[in-house]
Amino acid sequence: MATKDKNSWDPEIVVFACNWCSYAGADTAGVSRIQHQPHFRMIRVMCSGRIQPAFVLRAFERGADGVLVSGCHIGECHYIFGNERAIEQFEKTMSIVKMLGIEEQRLRLEWISSAEGARFAEVINEFTEQIRELGPSPFGRKRSPAKAGKGVAG
Amino acid sequence: MDAGRHPLIEVITNAEVVDCQGDPGNFEVTIHKNPRFVHEDLCVACGQCVDACPQVGGNEFDMGLKARKAIYRPYPQSVPGAYVVDPEACLNFMGFLDDKQRRRLEMIQKLKLKKDPEYTPNILVCGHCMDNCDVDAIDFDMKGEDIHKDVGAVLVAVGFREFDARKLGNYGYGRLPNVVTSLELERMLTAGGVTNGHVVRPSDMKTPKSMVFIQCVGARGEGGRPYCSRFCCMNAVKDSMMIRQHQPEVEDITILYTDLRAFGKGFDDFLQRSYDTHSAEYVRGRPAKVDHIPEDDTLEVFVEDTLGHEQRRIKTDLVVLSVAAAPNDGAIELAELMGIETDQYGFIAKKDPAISAVESTREGIYVCGSASGPQIIPDCVAQASATAVRAQLFLTGHRIEEEEEHMDAEPMELTGPPRVGVMVCHCGVNIGGVLDVDQLVEYASTIPDVVVAQPNVFACSSAGQDELVEMIEEYDLNRVVVAACTPRTHEPVFQETLSRIGFNPYLLEMANIRDQCSWVHSDQPELAQEKAKTLIRMSVARARNLQPLIREKVPMTRSALVIGGGIAGIQAATDLAVQGFPVTLVEKDDHLGGRLARPNLDLLYPNLRSAQEVLDEKIEILNRTDARVLLSTEVESMTGYVGSFEATFKGQANETASFGAVIISTGADLFEPDGLFCYGEMDNVITSAQLEEMFCEGRDLSLGGSAPSSASFILCVGSRDPEGFTGCSRYCCPTAIKQAMELHRKGIDTTVFYRDIRTVSKGAEEMYRQARGEGVLFVRIPPGSQPEVVGGKRAEAVRCFDDLLGRHLEVPTDLVVLSVGMRPGQPETENFQEMLKVPVGTDGFLMELHGELAPVETAVEGVMLAGTVQGPKDIVDTVAQASAAAAKASIFLAFDKVKIDPTVATVDENKCRGCGKCVDICDFHAPELVEIAPKLFVARINASMCKGCGTCASWCPTGAIIARHFTDRQVHAMIDAFFG
Repeated sequence: MATKDKNSWDPEIVVFACNWCSYAGADTAGVSRIQHQPHFRMIRVMCSGRIQPAFVLRAFERGADGVLVSGCHIGECHYIFGNERAIEQFEKTMSIVKMLGIEEQRLRLEWISSAEGARFAEVINEFTEQIRELGPSPFGRKRSPAKAGKGVAG
Repeated sequence: MDAGRHPLIEVITNAEVVDCQGDPGNFEVTIHKNPRFVHEDLCVACGQCVDACPQVGGNEFDMGLKARKAIYRPYPQSVPGAYVVDPEACLNFMGFLDDKQRRRLEMIQKLKLKKDPEYTPNILVCGHCMDNCDVDAIDFDMKGEDIHKDVGAVLVAVGFREFDARKLGNYGYGRLPNVVTSLELERMLTAGGVTNGHVVRPSDMKTPKSMVFIQCVGARGEGGRPYCSRFCCMNAVKDSMMIRQHQPEVEDITILYTDLRAFGKGFDDFLQRSYDTHSAEYVRGRPAKVDHIPEDDTLEVFVEDTLGHEQRRIKTDLVVLSVAAAPNDGAIELAELMGIETDQYGFIAKKDPAISAVESTREGIYVCGSASGPQIIPDCVAQASATAVRAQLFLTGHRIEEEEEHMDAEPMELTGPPRVGVMVCHCGVNIGGVLDVDQLVEYASTIPDVVVAQPNVFACSSAGQDELVEMIEEYDLNRVVVAACTPRTHEPVFQETLSRIGFNPYLLEMANIRDQCSWVHSDQPELAQEKAKTLIRMSVARARNLQPLIREKVPMTRSALVIGGGIAGIQAATDLAVQGFPVTLVEKDDHLGGRLARPNLDLLYPNLRSAQEVLDEKIEILNRTDARVLLSTEVESMTGYVGSFEATFKGQANETASFGAVIISTGADLFEPDGLFCYGEMDNVITSAQLEEMFCEGRDLSLGGSAPSSASFILCVGSRDPEGFTGCSRYCCPTAIKQAMELHRKGIDTTVFYRDIRTVSKGAEEMYRQARGEGVLFVRIPPGSQPEVVGGKRAEAVRCFDDLLGRHLEVPTDLVVLSVGMRPGQPETENFQEMLKVPVGTDGFLMELHGELAPVETAVEGVMLAGTVQGPKDIVDTVAQASAAAAKASIFLAFDKVKIDPTVATVDENKCRGCGKCVDICDFHAPELVEIAPKLFVARINASMCKGCGTCASWCPTGAIIARHFTDRQVHAMIDAFFG
């Protein structure tokens, strides 16, 4: 069954988050105990403007199946316009990602405020599902059968 | 959170002031602290007691919409973080029991006492919370206590409570479940709130298809309260936009209003967005009643649409009452025992409503926020800072010269290859209940460079901190990873411990295995365990690459420059000078006072005091200080950064001087209505400023004709203009009403043509009602249309469409007064943008750092804004802001050095090729290009100006810029470790 195949594999997702909004939003999800998919790992920077193409590309190179870049909503940046710079960087990154033949759905930009714990969980669930649909990244690392067995179905 | 952590702030909660004796500077205050039944110093806020508690009580914070336990935290971010027992709900308190239960309990107590004479009769019928508390923080023997404090000044910030909408029976609140208040709606809309951000009908928890907001509930005449509550209009507009965005299922939102009071900075633009996106239908009218239709469980709102001229019955699923702010419970009693007065409604009275920003009627006691009447957030924040600077007057001699310095030990020698220690926290069952901590410890010890890994029950407790220190010393560590909760709250806690022993605090890394792991993946513990392992591995990888950073200090020139000698500048300079700071006040005119000086302003609303008299008082106080006042002088150029700004003056004083902090208070210009409403063409069309001048000088109003028997005011001239300044100028409505009343009282028939009457300042709404009562006519102009002034050489009438009557009018008039709005002052605004790099907002005014939370600071550290240079405002708000700016400046001036956060960007000059990209993209103007050899440029980053966002590092094409503490190496190491 196709669905079983999908479920027997767990994606590995890197989430870059800014300290003030999206990382705090993930903490808020925690305080509110809002359960969500556990297949991502968070890397905190001070501002989404810090997230340069090289970070995202390195993540894909090392085997990430998806990368989420997140920051404060436009107009709410702790550093005034850092998130607007992040958009520019993101667009550059996206064009390189496409050039490399990685599906563009594997890279996403989201604005999440420190209060939006529920939204953080929603974004994670939805993005995880999207990556699961896409299957492993062409650059994804070969996983041992033992590890692949440890899915939600297993 | 910052206040809770500050070493000089003692937070006493669950407490009330019961006595206040003494004089300004020497108050003796008695505070009664009610028992919390939880020791704040022991509680680690793990939440196990809450899980154990079997008893459920109502939840005040969520407006009773959600239940909570008898031991609880009011809300997740509450300070202090310790839990509190609600005696009303807790099983251990006799008051909770009914008679039968109490008799039974007393019997048990007697029996126990017989057996054991030592037994304390405060019997624990439950005690589950105590059994589950690992740190023994819960103590039911805790008694209330009286605390005596000797203080110099008292700041009253008791806030407001919402108007009890039950008093207005026609809206059905309390009787109809689907009629809720705006605060209840707010709890629903909060992401972490009762319904996770979704609006529901309380009767069936379903999403409403339609909603109606009723404005001014308990305000502007309803329920006996004539004042305007200030924040409700924008709140309803905001709610409608949020709901339509997040829940498109809510198809119709109707807002029933009287005037839309979008008076604050940027509010009109926000309102326009609501119009543009059709987030709500705006209907002008006050409903008569709300009825319940039982057939389909909907509501029907009866309202007269005063612009559509029809009676409407609006069928809807949910009604939201925008309830007014009322004086808080106990405010009157508090005022009485503090010896201060309240106003006719029970809010704390201010000394002089025309000019006092924060003064109560008694010296040494100050009031901020909604305790003195409804306020919007930026004004609350400005007032709060203003009270702080006033309190300083009584605290001189207590200023803290050297902060925390003594706490830091000699720095430890931390060299050689990384020796990482990992501490994995159980956090009680918060982590330990989901993750296998022992296995994590075992795993951590296998990671390269980790020399030791240990578990801890509560790493943040004082015992936990001691163990961390022991671990560092025993294993000679030079890097530490704490796998526990979020660095956003706890990094400072651990950093402080490390600083105390001289361990560089920047060699600490936290792995967030609680908030972002055990709490959110408890339904999949195996995967949570895997994630926690990876998070620790990634943290160790980052820790290996951490570098020690030193908080450097740059010298602070301990004097301030205040630019502009209007009421804002006078206030700010006085506030700084009375604290003993050297201040220079520069004014380009040959006298102080700006717009308050004669002949610009005659009388001040709402109490009609003479502006000159008020101004003279303020100048006299300033003259008693050591402030240096330079008249007929302008700032020609300015450079520098916090601690050392350099200004060159021209005019009467020609000199260059340096300053540590700068306050800009150069004010705004008034709109010149050339060519509008026949201004400049007809002799009897004048501006409100000209009328004020005529009042001031006692001139007759004939303007070349006969004495006027009728007059017309046209509001919003040069404000709320889609082509020009789109915002509201805030001062014009009350000013026009004051002027109209003055004319009316001279026997002149006066008509005011308005779009919305925005009388939001204290006493202004009352003045508006009085003007109507005395016979001043108010004619509402529909949006998008303008009145027309008709006549020949002189204006003879004003023609317009009356929105309320629904027909065209021609009102004969002998005098037309144009209420002109404010404009950014030129060329000052542009000059400051150029010289100091202070950003300018889309409205053209200088921009504050944060619209709500930092209304006087700017993106340039050490530069503050006061008064209308930041945006239109009235005198009271200007004075509050000026004092707030002085408070912020005094924070810098209090020390002879300013500490620079080391987590900033630096440049590797060997790699930099001087392209200037960083200079272009930095909004804080920290990088600049320096010519180090002929035609050889490199970027240098001023650490005093850098905010540490790291954006420049991300844009640097050669990788020359290093974002300290978040370097490429550190981030790459984390990525690699994820997949390693």
